[in-house]
Amino acid sequence: MKDWLDKRLVLITGKGGVGRSTLTAALAHAAQRAGKRVLLTEVADGGDDYSPLAQRFGLNQLPRKAASIAPGITGSQLLSDTGIELFFVSVLRSALLARTALGFEPLRRLFSAAPSLREMGTFFHLLTYLRAEQSPGHPLYELILVDMPATGHTLALTGLPDVVLRLVTRGPIADGLREGQSYLHDPLRTAAYVVTLPETLPISEALELLDGLETTRVPRGGVIVNRMPVERFSADETAALEGFLEHQPLFGAEAFSRIKDSRRAVERLRQLTSRPVSELPDFEESGEALIEKLAGALQ
Amino acid sequence: MTAPVLGKLLQQNKVIVCCGAGGVGKTTTAASLAVGAARLGRRVLVLTIDPSRRLAETLGVSRNPREPVPLPKDRQQAAGIKLPGRLDAWMLDAKLVADESVRRFAGSEERAKPILANRVYQQATTMLAGLHEYAAMKALHGFITGGAYDLVVLDTPPSRNALDFLDAPTRLAGFLDGAIFRMFLPSKSGLIGRAGSRLISKVLGLVFGDEFASELSAFFESFAGLFASLNADLIDVRARLMQPDTAFLLVSTPSEAAVAEAHFFHQRILQLGLPFRGFVLNRSQAGMTRKLFPDHALLPADASPALSSALEKLKWLARAEQLQVARDRGLLADLALRGGKEAFALALPNLPAGANDISTLISIADLVIAERRSGPR
Repeated sequence: MKDWLDKRLVLITGKGGVGRSTLTAALAHAAQRAGKRVLLTEVADGGDDYSPLAQRFGLNQLPRKAASIAPGITGSQLLSDTGIELFFVSVLRSALLARTALGFEPLRRLFSAAPSLREMGTFFHLLTYLRAEQSPGHPLYELILVDMPATGHTLALTGLPDVVLRLVTRGPIADGLREGQSYLHDPLRTAAYVVTLPETLPISEALELLDGLETTRVPRGGVIVNRMPVERFSADETAALEGFLEHQPLFGAEAFSRIKDSRRAVERLRQLTSRPVSELPDFEESGEALIEKLAGALQ
Repeated sequence: MTAPVLGKLLQQNKVIVCCGAGGVGKTTTAASLAVGAARLGRRVLVLTIDPSRRLAETLGVSRNPREPVPLPKDRQQAAGIKLPGRLDAWMLDAKLVADESVRRFAGSEERAKPILANRVYQQATTMLAGLHEYAAMKALHGFITGGAYDLVVLDTPPSRNALDFLDAPTRLAGFLDGAIFRMFLPSKSGLIGRAGSRLISKVLGLVFGDEFASELSAFFESFAGLFASLNADLIDVRARLMQPDTAFLLVSTPSEAAVAEAHFFHQRILQLGLPFRGFVLNRSQAGMTRKLFPDHALLPADASPALSSALEKLKWLARAEQLQVARDRGLLADLALRGGKEAFALALPNLPAGANDISTLISIADLVIAERRSGPR
């Protein structure tokens, strides 16, 4: 895994249970140590949703607006409502007018349910962070990390600009979406990584997600295989132990066969994708210590 | 010891809803419970919304069927399912459900055509927030009231918030609520209604451009009646899910993060007043049969140096595994305690092959049925 530190926007995707949130937290720490002004975000819906990512920073949720969550790390939810409000303010050129329009119940309900509008709001919230500058020409957040939602929702989000632009070809929404695309589709500025485990099914799903990302034209940084078992046995030892364990079920046998299974699963992954594949070892640590280890491995 | 909750569920319940975070094995659990219930002689439908379409492969049914497909005969036999028991599976296709609703509502293909051709509608069926969830509820309603099945097992959509499928349709319903909805239609009556409509069309025109805004209006106009009828179904099915013959189950894995999330969902289910009936702890070592610890005394006298050194290294892995077993047992006991006597806590083992063939489902169903006989531990 390289180059990711040079991007403006890094999307972390992958199905649940693969350690995505822990890894995203570790990336934020690694980026901060590399001297980047980093913003850590995740798509949220403004409710009291469980946030595994925020848990990694001792919070129930990331802040609703960018705020410090750890030394040198800023965090923010990506909220549809906030994005829509910011967008309205920019279009109607008046905060008061925007609030009046959005305070109107029918419109509020439309925006929470209507075609693509929720995703659009999320998208605009992200766009305002990408646009934010510390001083002219210097972005406020040099690197924005996004912990993406489950597969289906990820592709709904990355595919949003194309879908909406087919319907809305002119006007402020179209302009905003095109500006967003100028980041999202630019391999120099954006990379999406798919996190997976060294097992058959998660790897099949990672491959599907890679295809989906390509369809929505998001540059794919590569695949990160998390929790790769450490190889402790020489070829001779493996062969001898395999023969012995066939007749004698012992504690440790499952973990032993997982080493080989994992190796095979990753070989298959490497054959089926042209994108870079990187492996992270299965650290024994958990909690903060694990994030520390991962951040070290990622730097 | 309480009566075996899981046995009663499989034998008597009308609806089982499997919830849990993504990647914990919800789909496999749902399918295995369905196999178990069908084996007890019930007519079972397992309904999945998983966009990765895993259940289709697991059950060997073709992709995107228009209606439920029975498990192939040889597999029914292999699974020990005998008449009157049967097992059908269906993958929910949100677009299919929506199109079907449009046709039924329109009454004729001719009248359905312009609605199906509306560009907003076409995008809505792929992008509408909550549409998958909405379609799930709609389909569930159809199958529960249809009478063809004794039990419907629902595998909920993968989502960061596993209970989204209950909330998302509500969001949609909030908008589709008659009074609100009419605001978006070209208004003919009422001063306030007209003023509201004017404000709306002005804002929509400014934001979206006039061309799209008028298409959006056309979409709302042709859908007004349809949405009202969908809403009535939604209220029905929500009420249905509160009934005692519905069971909500939570699937988790032993990982720290997954368990924390399961606790959160458990509270949420209780808050919503839904009938919570059990935890399934997947990929757990809690049920592991006693094995020997790797010891050099077990080696034959003529063991090679490679085997000898390998066994030494295996000890390290074995200790980790033993710790895991102890931890998983503690976890299971804790879940049983949290669930109370109305709920069960069942541990299922880690399945090596990725759990995607019928024999895997059968072996889990065996475990489930064994649990039924012995009651919760």
